Amino acid sequence: MSSGELVTVTIDDRDVAVPKGTGLVEAAASAGIEIPVFCYEPRLGPPVGACRMCLVEVEGLPKLQAGCTLTAQEGMVVKTAASSEKAAEGQNATLEFILVNHPLDCPVCDKGGECPLQDLTFRYGPGNTRMSFSKITLEKPIPVSPLIALDRERCILCYRCTRFSSDVAEDNQLVARNRGAHTEITTFESDPYRAPFSGNVIELCPVGALTSTQYRFEARPWEIQNVPTVCGLCSVGCNINATVREGKVKRILSRNHPEVDGGWLCDKGRFTYPHLIAEDRITEPLVRGELGLEPVSWDAALDRAEALLREAGTRTVTALSGTESVEQAYALARLLRGGLGAHTAVLPESTSDALDAFRLPLSSIAQAEIVVIVGDDDLADRAPIVDLWLKAAGRNGAEIVRYGPTGTEPTGPGGAAAALRALAGSGNELGDRLRAADRAILVWSGSGGGGGARLAEAAHALGFAEKPGSGAFHLPATPNGRGVATAWAAAADEDEANPEPIGLLIISGDRAAADPAVRALAERAEHVIAVTMFHDLAVGWADLVLPATSSLESDGTLLNLEGRLQRLRRTVIAPVPDELAWISQLAGRFDVELSPHAVVVFDELSAVAFGGVDGSELNGTAPLPARTPYEAPPPAAEVKPATPARPAAGHFLGELRLLRYRPLFSGPFVERVGELAFQRPPAELELCTADAERRSIATGDHVVVKSNGTSVELRARINRGLVAGVARVADEHAADLHLHVEVVKP
Amino acid sequence: MSPTPEIVFAGTNGGALTEIADYEAVGGFQALAKSRALTPDDVIAELNASNLRGRGGAFFPTGRKWSFVPKPDKIDKPHYLVINADESEPGTFKDREIMLRVPFRFLEGSLIAAHAIESKHIFIYIRGEYEVEFEVLVAALEQMRAKDLLGAVTIVVHRGAGAYICGEETALLESLEGRRGLPRTKPPFPAIAGLYASPTAVNNVESITSATTVMEIGGAEYAKLGVENSTGTRVFSLSGNVVNGGNYELPHGYPLRDLINELGGGIADGRSLKAVIPGGSSTVILTADEANTVTLDFDSLVGAGTAIGSAAVIALDDRCCMVQLAVRVSQFYEHESCGKCTPCRVGTKWLTSILQKIEDGRGTQADMNLLVSVAERINGKCLCPLGDSDAIAVMSYFDKFRDEFQAHIDEGGCPFHGESSLDHLLAPVAMHIALPEGKAIDGLINV
Repeated sequence: MSSGELVTVTIDDRDVAVPKGTGLVEAAASAGIEIPVFCYEPRLGPPVGACRMCLVEVEGLPKLQAGCTLTAQEGMVVKTAASSEKAAEGQNATLEFILVNHPLDCPVCDKGGECPLQDLTFRYGPGNTRMSFSKITLEKPIPVSPLIALDRERCILCYRCTRFSSDVAEDNQLVARNRGAHTEITTFESDPYRAPFSGNVIELCPVGALTSTQYRFEARPWEIQNVPTVCGLCSVGCNINATVREGKVKRILSRNHPEVDGGWLCDKGRFTYPHLIAEDRITEPLVRGELGLEPVSWDAALDRAEALLREAGTRTVTALSGTESVEQAYALARLLRGGLGAHTAVLPESTSDALDAFRLPLSSIAQAEIVVIVGDDDLADRAPIVDLWLKAAGRNGAEIVRYGPTGTEPTGPGGAAAALRALAGSGNELGDRLRAADRAILVWSGSGGGGGARLAEAAHALGFAEKPGSGAFHLPATPNGRGVATAWAAAADEDEANPEPIGLLIISGDRAAADPAVRALAERAEHVIAVTMFHDLAVGWADLVLPATSSLESDGTLLNLEGRLQRLRRTVIAPVPDELAWISQLAGRFDVELSPHAVVVFDELSAVAFGGVDGSELNGTAPLPARTPYEAPPPAAEVKPATPARPAAGHFLGELRLLRYRPLFSGPFVERVGELAFQRPPAELELCTADAERRSIATGDHVVVKSNGTSVELRARINRGLVAGVARVADEHAADLHLHVEVVKP
Repeated sequence: MSPTPEIVFAGTNGGALTEIADYEAVGGFQALAKSRALTPDDVIAELNASNLRGRGGAFFPTGRKWSFVPKPDKIDKPHYLVINADESEPGTFKDREIMLRVPFRFLEGSLIAAHAIESKHIFIYIRGEYEVEFEVLVAALEQMRAKDLLGAVTIVVHRGAGAYICGEETALLESLEGRRGLPRTKPPFPAIAGLYASPTAVNNVESITSATTVMEIGGAEYAKLGVENSTGTRVFSLSGNVVNGGNYELPHGYPLRDLINELGGGIADGRSLKAVIPGGSSTVILTADEANTVTLDFDSLVGAGTAIGSAAVIALDDRCCMVQLAVRVSQFYEHESCGKCTPCRVGTKWLTSILQKIEDGRGTQADMNLLVSVAERINGKCLCPLGDSDAIAVMSYFDKFRDEFQAHIDEGGCPFHGESSLDHLLAPVAMHIALPEGKAIDGLINV
């Protein structure tokens, strides 16, 4: 932490003025002086001074000091290896010791060529070795998980990975075992490192000890390109680099946006890129003929699409997933609304504009005094990085209160809005503290609530608009729901018409296809066009299937949950034409002029919907727009009371409310990456202790879950943190179960 | 020079004061009552007047250490007193005898210290192997609780798991908090952010026990014992090739020669004195000539280029091969290195390997230079003193007995030809592995 006061430090005879408290490593760097480090990584918390690479001489102190553990003090005089023989000797000593047991397998090491140890050895290290004894040899590599390989011989024990596990992700899975020269990195009982953020340890490792099993032997640093883009898998939009070799994505790395992701990625964002080359990817248009779906040429497919569109006209309904870029959504809207007058759409959950009055960067969560989270979903399932910001807040001493089925204040499903109303009402003790705090944060993590409209009302009532440090975040279910809704709305003014019968249903993406409401429409529609990457549900209903691209394959723009527009870049050429290319062709047939180029489409859309923001401003790390004045959102619609579950009475055990959740590790991309299978949720049902005891169910028991004639067999798990009356099941294991279920032992 | 009356062991008559009534009969708990009637600042002033300095090894003034702990109104956190009873420095066995023979004087001192730093929480971190000592302490505590002597103070006796590094105060705090015992970087110092990031004083058992006497007889009176800069008495652990090894409470300034020859009965088996390790395995060795001139106090030993350390005096006779001794000492540090910082983790192992190579007769002249270079590359570059200690100790053997090292190179083997003996000189590393439950070594506990 640095204060505003400037202090002057003399480093290698140069005076450097930095804010008091600045780390010496950073102070030196600001003057262009390198203090080399291995273990030092400020994002992992306080320095540990373990590797001793940063030894410097400090005037007045007899011993060499670990530069990473020092902060700039007025009048401090420091000599680095560049100007002090003693410091240089210290650094050489450290490097020699580090290399004593380090194998010389750089030529076959994935890290070779981008390895801090290799680089520093070239710059500072000895040209030969004085070690004539056997190096420590160990089996290599051993799996830390199906995603991560550990080479203990290469490990220099900087403890970055274990500190990440315990002090950042707080999963406490990666640990050091044994002592002294026998110390090694491991997990408890050598279980796989199963946690949402495990892959970050690969990037943190300053040597080739922790490597990605996916990237293993795939490329060398001098034959790759890192393409800067953003992750399109959730509403955070972590900034990433896609490592590309010979037209293929080989790995995903973080590209630190300090306000958005802090340089961390979740394992879904990092490891799902092999979906691009999945065997079942649709690469040709398919038309339903007498023998089922058959591949056709793009010309034939567009002819068929044109015919379907002309036949249905205004009776066309469009279902969007929220995974499209704003350009793709806008282009579709211009074609369908402008060309056909088909204004009806099923849009993904959006985020209320009213929240723009309480806008903050995600990083501000870490500085909060109080954070209140409402909603039915775990943060890590909806917007994983938000969970890391929240953990940082906890470590900084924030009070964290969660209203939800697994919250600190156990609340039944759908209780978020009521919880917020109570907070914002008068006489609520926590609400009063939120009002009084300078830095209070509200988070809505779940569906409902008007896409954050209820959240905005609460934030307004709590006076957040006047507090530049207080804000509110809605975590939408899809990566670009708000961007898609905004783009759709920007293309025309006319209202929806609810056509009947539905002539044509266009289903864009897998999230729309998985929506039961869309499925109901598909059953009624005369024809269906599916735009998809894989043979998913919608393909079964489709008369025409058009292959889609992934967010790693298209240029475009996403609007993230903060309201920040971020640039997607085409990292590799897709095996199929870009959506904008065929949409613009089709649009031409309906006399709609539409560019096939994302930048041109964005400029057109930006003028209408984003205040004319220049797309070039979104390059690099994109800025967050300023707050806007609060405008009250439309009031909540009348909520019809849900049919109450029948509680236990007499011999009747009663029903439980089914709580479905969409786990982080789910969806078509995850399903296509074998290495991620171990991260997926088991087929289990969670119950609270009381509900389990009443049914004589113990963790591990097989239970039957029944509703309306459907039944599913699952493994039971007692979750002591779960609210009573609820059966929590991952979406993919809940099949067609209805809202109320009976849970019995067979 | 004759020993003065006992201070730490006063009233024991060679036995143990493990019954509270016996301790009270020799004036026990009067110092506590006196201290509690004083303000914390006055207690610290008394300690400062005594110039009592830390008996763990660093010789830091105890009163000053207490004065560094911020006053409760300055910081909104609990204050902790942590007592380092993780005595593990090779050659040192004084704290165990203090805990066995005068547990109440030690616990009384703990309460006095807690009063001085305004703490309500005392943790005694006791070496895991000290089972009997642990039981004696717990029994003494029970008796004190029964007499309601603790007041609002809680005392927890926490058993370590047998790691030397946990005698380093910050590693001890990590271990006490339930984590791996790895030293922390300083600053922050424990006085500001110690146990659970709260103000903490960490004191050695003997320091705390001596504090009881300081408060009993007064700081000025205590300061009259010993010599300037090294006041009071010290419990010296005499071991090695002497006739009568054991703990001897002596005033600081006592001649080392007299400790070995008079109290210790001289070198056993009619051998001659070769060298003395004066303050535990981490200190610079003294040749027999040097040992005959020094007195056992801070200034004299620093003047001789070594340190009083933990006051563990190890006398070596002429059968001791200095290279073998270096291997044994270096193996210990290699074994006990925590693995956190590079120079210690890698360097101690490398140093041992070079020493073993020389001892085995495979060493070359280049290995002699390498030995010096590796030791120099460890020394002063580690996170805590453990690695430095290995380098300092080994280098002192090398510097003062260089001919003996050279003879190993020249003769292609140990010049002692198997006639050397390290009997009674520090436990070999194999003995640092924990004993099975319920097994004791005969004669190890000798009260």
